[in-house]
Formats: sequence, C-alpha cells, structure tokens
Amino acid sequence: MPPAAAPPRVRFDLLDPSEASRLAGLELLTEGVVEGFLSGLHRSPRRGFSVEFAEHRMYQPGDELRYVDWKLLGRKDRLYVKQFEEETNLRAMLVVDSSRSMAWSGEPGRVLTKLEYAKRLAASLALLLLRQRDAIGLIAFDDRVRRVVPARARMAHWHQLLAVLGDLAAGRGTAAEPALRRVVDLLRRRGLVVFVSDLLLDRELTLRALKFLRHRGHQVLVIHVMDPSEYELSGPAEARFEDPETGLGVTLRPKDWAAAYRATVAGVVSAWHRACRSSGMQYHQVTTDTPFGLALRRIVSRPSGLA
Amino acid sequence: MIGFLHPWVLAGLPLAAVPLILHLLQRREPPTIEFPAVRYLVQVTEQFQRRLRLQHWLLLLIRTLLVLALVVAAAGPSVPLRASSAHAPSALVLVLDNSPSSGVVVSGTPILTDLRAAARRILQQASSSDALWLLESDGIARRGGPAELESAVDSTAPSFRRLDLGEALGIAQGVLATDRRPGAIAVLTDLQASALSPAPTKVPVTVIRPDGPAPENVGIVRLDPGPQPWTPEGGSVTVGLAGDSAAPVPVSVSLGDGPGRQALVSVGGAAAFALNGASIGWWTVQAAKTADELRADDHMESLVRVAPVAKASWDTTNRYLNVAAQVLLQSRRLERGTDLSLGSLGSGASVVMPPADAADLGALNRALARRGAGWSYGALSTVPVLSDSGALFGRISILKRYALVPGRVSAETGVVATAGGQPWIVRSGNVVLLASRLDPTWTALPLSAGFMPFVDALVNRLARGQLALLAGAPGDAILIPDLTTEVVHGDHRWRVEGGAAFRPPTTGVYFLVSGRDTLGGISVNLDPRETDLRRASDRAVGELWPTARVVSLGEAADAAFAGARRASLQGALLWLALLLGLVEVGLASGLPRLP
Repeated sequence: MPPAAAPPRVRFDLLDPSEASRLAGLELLTEGVVEGFLSGLHRSPRRGFSVEFAEHRMYQPGDELRYVDWKLLGRKDRLYVKQFEEETNLRAMLVVDSSRSMAWSGEPGRVLTKLEYAKRLAASLALLLLRQRDAIGLIAFDDRVRRVVPARARMAHWHQLLAVLGDLAAGRGTAAEPALRRVVDLLRRRGLVVFVSDLLLDRELTLRALKFLRHRGHQVLVIHVMDPSEYELSGPAEARFEDPETGLGVTLRPKDWAAAYRATVAGVVSAWHRACRSSGMQYHQVTTDTPFGLALRRIVSRPSGLA
Repeated sequence: MIGFLHPWVLAGLPLAAVPLILHLLQRREPPTIEFPAVRYLVQVTEQFQRRLRLQHWLLLLIRTLLVLALVVAAAGPSVPLRASSAHAPSALVLVLDNSPSSGVVVSGTPILTDLRAAARRILQQASSSDALWLLESDGIARRGGPAELESAVDSTAPSFRRLDLGEALGIAQGVLATDRRPGAIAVLTDLQASALSPAPTKVPVTVIRPDGPAPENVGIVRLDPGPQPWTPEGGSVTVGLAGDSAAPVPVSVSLGDGPGRQALVSVGGAAAFALNGASIGWWTVQAAKTADELRADDHMESLVRVAPVAKASWDTTNRYLNVAAQVLLQSRRLERGTDLSLGSLGSGASVVMPPADAADLGALNRALARRGAGWSYGALSTVPVLSDSGALFGRISILKRYALVPGRVSAETGVVATAGGQPWIVRSGNVVLLASRLDPTWTALPLSAGFMPFVDALVNRLARGQLALLAGAPGDAILIPDLTTEVVHGDHRWRVEGGAAFRPPTTGVYFLVSGRDTLGGISVNLDPRETDLRRASDRAVGELWPTARVVSLGEAADAAFAGARRASLQGALLWLALLLGLVEVGLASGLPRLP
C-alpha cells in the first residue's frame, strides 16, 4: 500500500502554537505535530508493529531494519517499513471544555485562545491514539454537553473528529460534571479519559466526577490549559476585571495584587495537582504558548495509555 | 495661640488637598478588562481587600499630613511658652512715654523714673537674637541691642512733647512689619486718658502703667495777650487754668522783666490781667503759678508786640469808615498822619477799597500795577455770599464784590480773608485790597459789632505788615509765614523757608525773622492736654486697642515678652514630616508584598 502523505518538512510540534496554526489547517497541523512528535522519539512506536500486516509507511531514521519491506524497495526504489495491525486494547474519550472562558487569549493574535489550543492538542492526541489503533471518542461541553462522538479505532474516524473539533465554538458557562458522567455511558470497559479544560469551573463537583471515573477503573488524564496572562496579573493602574462567563467583576490595582494573585494561581495549580495525584489521576498544566510537541511529550512521558 | 514667622506661607495649605485630588482623579472610571480568572482575584481580594483599603486611606492621610506639616513648618510656627523665662527670637518695640506728664512727682519720685526702671527690667530679659526698638515721645523708633537701649533709657528725661499713644502704636506696628520675627509692643506709660487714641492693633500689646490714681494737678492752659500790637500804653493778658483743684490759684503775670501782676484765678476759668505799657519792640509775657506735682505746666510764655498807633489819612466821604476812624482817633488807636492811606491807594501803606464808580476801576488797576501790587480788581459779582472765616470780623453777609485777581508773581499768596471760596481781603506788601466797599450796600460788615475791631486791625495790623503771632506745642508742625528766613530761639537759629512747617523742639518763644526784620513769633507751650493727669481705665484701653493687656509696673519684666515668649514648632514639625515620610515609604513599598 502506498504511503498516504510525505512527512512534513516543518516541525510543527516545536513551533510556537500560534505560528504553527497560521501555517497549516487543523488536519495538516495535527498530522505534522504528531509526525514531528513521533519522529522526535528515538524509537518508533512499539505498538503498531504486531503480527498482522496493516499498512506501509515511509522509513524514518531509527526504524528497525527488520521491518523494512525489501520487496517494495525493489519495486519503488524507496524505503518503506511494514506496520502491522494490532488488536485494539484501549478505548479513550477526549472530554474538551468549550466554555466561554476557554475562548480567551491574553494577547489576541499572538497567543491562541485556550479553546483553539485545546482543539489542536486534542486532535493531536486523537491522531496519536488512532495510530496506536486505539479507539478514541470526543465529548465537548460548556454549560451542557454539546457534542458527543463515540469512540472508534479506524483512521477514517479521525476526519470525523477533526470536523467536530473544527466546528466547535465557545459556549457560555461551564458544567463539567454532566459531560464526565456521560463518559460512563460511553466507556463500558476500562479506558482512558482525557479531560482538557482551563478548570475555571466548580472544582468540587468536577473532582468528584473525575474520581468517580477513576473509581470505575478508567485512567484519567487532566490537562489544565492556561493562558500565560492568567499567570501574571497586569493592566492599567486601576481596572475592573470581569469574568466573561459570570459577569463577576472586581476593581483593583493590578500592581498591588500581582504578587498575591501569582501566589494564588500557583496554589490553585498545586491544589489540582495534589488532588489528582491523590486519586491516581494524571495532571498536566500547559500554557497556550507551549509548543504542541513539548506539551505532548510532557503528557506521554508519564505512564498512561498513551505511550 | 500659634504665631507664624512667615504667615504668607500658609497660603500653601490647600496643597494638602493634592493627594486627595490625585486619589479621586485616579479613581475615576477604571477601564473594564475581560479576565476569565476573576475567581482567583476574588479569592485573593476577599482576604486582603479590607486591609488594603485601610492601607490606602492611611497612605492618603499620611500624605496629606506630610504636606500640611511641611507647609506649616515653612511658615515658622511658634506657641506661647509661659512656664519658662526663655523666649523665642522676637521683635519688641518698647514705647517709653516720656511726655511732659511723665514728670509728675509721686511720693517724691517722678513717674518717669519708675517707667525707666521697668524698661530696664524688660531689656534685661532680652537677648541678642531679639530685635529691639525704643520709641519715645519724639516719635522716632531707635533700634539697638539690649545694653545700648538700656543706656538710652537711663538718659531719657521728661520731654516737652506730647505722645499720642495711638499714633505711637501705629509707628511701632509699622516698625515690626519690617521684621520677620514674632512681634510685640510694650508700652510704658502713665496712661493719661487724653493720650489714648484708637489704634487697630494686630500684635500683642502690653500696657505697663503705675498703680493707683494719678495725683491732682493744676496748670496754666491759656495765656492770651489779646490783639496785637499793643500800644506803648499797655494791654491786657488773659490767663486760663485747668486741673483738679476747687480753690482759686494765685497766678502772676509779667511783661518782660517788668513787675508782675498777681491775681487769684479759679481753676477751669480765666482771668484778664491789665499790664502797663513798655517801650516799642517785642516782649515776652509770662504767667506762673505756685508749683505742684507737675512743674511743666506751672508757667507759660507768650509774645507781645508793642508798636506806636498808626498815623493815617482816610476817605471822609465814606460815612462808615469816617465814623470808625473818628472813634479810633478818640480812643488813641489812630492818629492823623500820612503813613497810611485808608480807603484809597496812597503813596505809602494803603487800605484800598474798590471805587464807587466802576469807570475808575481801570485807573486803579493800572496804579496798583505801577506799585507792584500782586493783585488787581476783576469782574463785579452781585451774588450774595457769606464770608468764610470769622477770625477778623465774624461771618458777615457780602452782597457785592469784585473778583481779586492774582498777578503772575503773587501766585495767590497774601490772602487774608475769603468769601464764597474766593479772596475777599488780600495783602501785597504794604497794600491791602478789599473786594467790597465798606458800605451796607456792598456788605453788612459796617453795621456789625465787629466793624470797629476790624478797622482797628486794618490800620494797626494788616496795613502795617501782618504780625505773625503763632502758637503751638513742642513737636507740632507750625506753618511759618512767607518771607520768613530764620527762626530764632535764644541762641539757636534755624534757617527756614517761608511757607514750610517748623517743629519747635521745646517750650519758649521763637521769633520769625526776615533779614533784619522780625515778622512775628511763635509762643510754644506745653500741650494743654498734658495738664489733665487722669488715667484711662483698663477697659478703655481694651476697647481702643483690641490686642492690649494692661499690667502694673511690677509685672513689666514678665509681661513684656509674654506674647513673644514662644517655642518654635518648626523643628518638631520637620521631624514629624520626616517620620511621616518614612512611614509613607514603608507603607507604599509594602503594598505589593501584601500577601
């Protein structure tokens, strides 16, 4: 079988997320990110090389020579390696927050919104999992569940996921619990739940729902997406800061409160991290200026169903 | 009460509102920023908002106080310090009332001696950092150090000049206005009621006066030698007394070195003394009474001019003038002769009336011009007016008059009497011009009781050269007549300019001299108000001088600097400002480290 596409020359995985998004659409970018990410690993994915042949792909430095299809080399005069069908052993569900707070960027035009970043990161994860022959599904939510895509393992499913993610627009409020409960219905067997959100939601309810999933035997991966401007409080001498979701506002002098705010955010991140770890969940905090490859590397470097 | 060295700096006090204004300006309409992580801000601010708001208001208060402290410190504030004898550098004017009344003797000692002792005690409290002035009855504020002024006080003697205390306070306040130190005035006085006059005092005034009532006193307040000149046959002198005695007081009056005439004169009344004549010339007439506690007002001097009666010819066709001349002739106030022409222009001294026929007026004016008279007759006015001055003949009605027109040289000098604001009698050299004829159809004067003395004055005084017999008190500004070139008093001679003011320094008689001629004289005696020694009440002082405090001589040393005995607050305020500045810096830099 001929290769589907040439490997991208641009390492999208290492580019600034905003710049990478300008260079390519969601699909191409995601593929580029995943290809770059995989090629950055010093060995080929160990899964996907099973006993039942599945497809060819271009040889990449580091691939084992024993998987090179010498016959194809004779016909095409190019190096291809054989990939084998592996039995699907993982069902994963991406739970993506598309609330109003996610559609915010501290520096519009220069930094992606949290939602755009989450969509690209989710797509990359989906592609990565599909390439491992895992089944992957999607739930998008704001104050209620917006879109549900059941988990499938076929590569054609990837385009369906891209279409849903591409159409995903910011909603209003945030209510993660219904979406997480919906996962229970969609993942009958033990699987992987990837929860992508800015975590500006009801912490107790969400944690309870996540713990419930964990209790059901699922691996839970929490990806906390933050804008860099949410780390450091800045602005004019005095300003009214207003929550786009709730309209809640507070008037203050950023200079007076910057240090206290920084400490509070650090405390919140730390609290999420502790809460997740204590429940056997993985927690990753990424900012929207982190290259996707680095974010993926950080996510898959920990034991989970992803790698 | 807080005093300030530079009170004008307090105009900067509104600067204290600058921090508040900046605060309010910064608070206006803050921009709204969309920020999803507001919940974190709320979490933080709930914990620290109250503390931060308190810090902000504290900062505002501290900054306002800081500006206030700096502005007030720059104004040089000071507060009264009564517990200590020390006082802040201050400016003090010591008014030492050495007017004639201060020479009154009480219990064997002149009051001025006690006033000087009190002044010395005050000066001993002064330091070299004080600005000191000594103001006496001459009205001159002399500046000096404590020792220098103490020496000046020791040499102070009763003056002949009256001191108006209200005016003295005005001078003292003017002097203090030139100095930046907190000012005060100490007035050492016998507090004679007649010396008080209102003064808008703005600085602390300490009035230091003797205890007890003033002694009784009787003094000569009037010595009037009557119309001048006297004839060699003599004249009469009127003497008036004022004072506290109910009994008549013996008074003696003498002319020159001649024998005196004595009589009892009741206090508050007057008595006429007829004196024998003397040879032609200027004589001093003196009145004296028995001595009492105030010696300065026990005698008085005046001048008498003895001259022969005028030798005149007159217009016998003028009925009224002729009758008057006949009466003067009979009473030996006039002799027939050619020295004086009465009613028309003659070759010598003349009293000129306008002609009955207006056609003769031109010829008369030309004759006057030839004589070098500085005046001439102008247009006839038939508008009835009253004479303006009653000095010569009382206020009489004038029906017709010619305008008296000054020449270029005379420049309106020599006006003797006016009517309706215009010259009515003028004198130029030995020519006297009357604007109206001495006829009832022109003026009511010939029918009035003053007509005879008026004609007497015309022939014996005005036409023969005006005798300038002036009177005044030492220090008074006395306008001396034109043509006077010198003022002579004993061995003292002052070169003067006629028409200017002359201030006689002491009592006595002063002669007004023009070349070798004596034009007149000035009788200089004590101001009659000095005789009344009654003291003003403390309440009256308070009503006239709002910032005054009255104390007795014994309290002088403590009271004089009481207003100026102050502690400077400048240092304390600057330290406070520094402290506030440090607190402000600490508080402001501590805000970002709030958590």
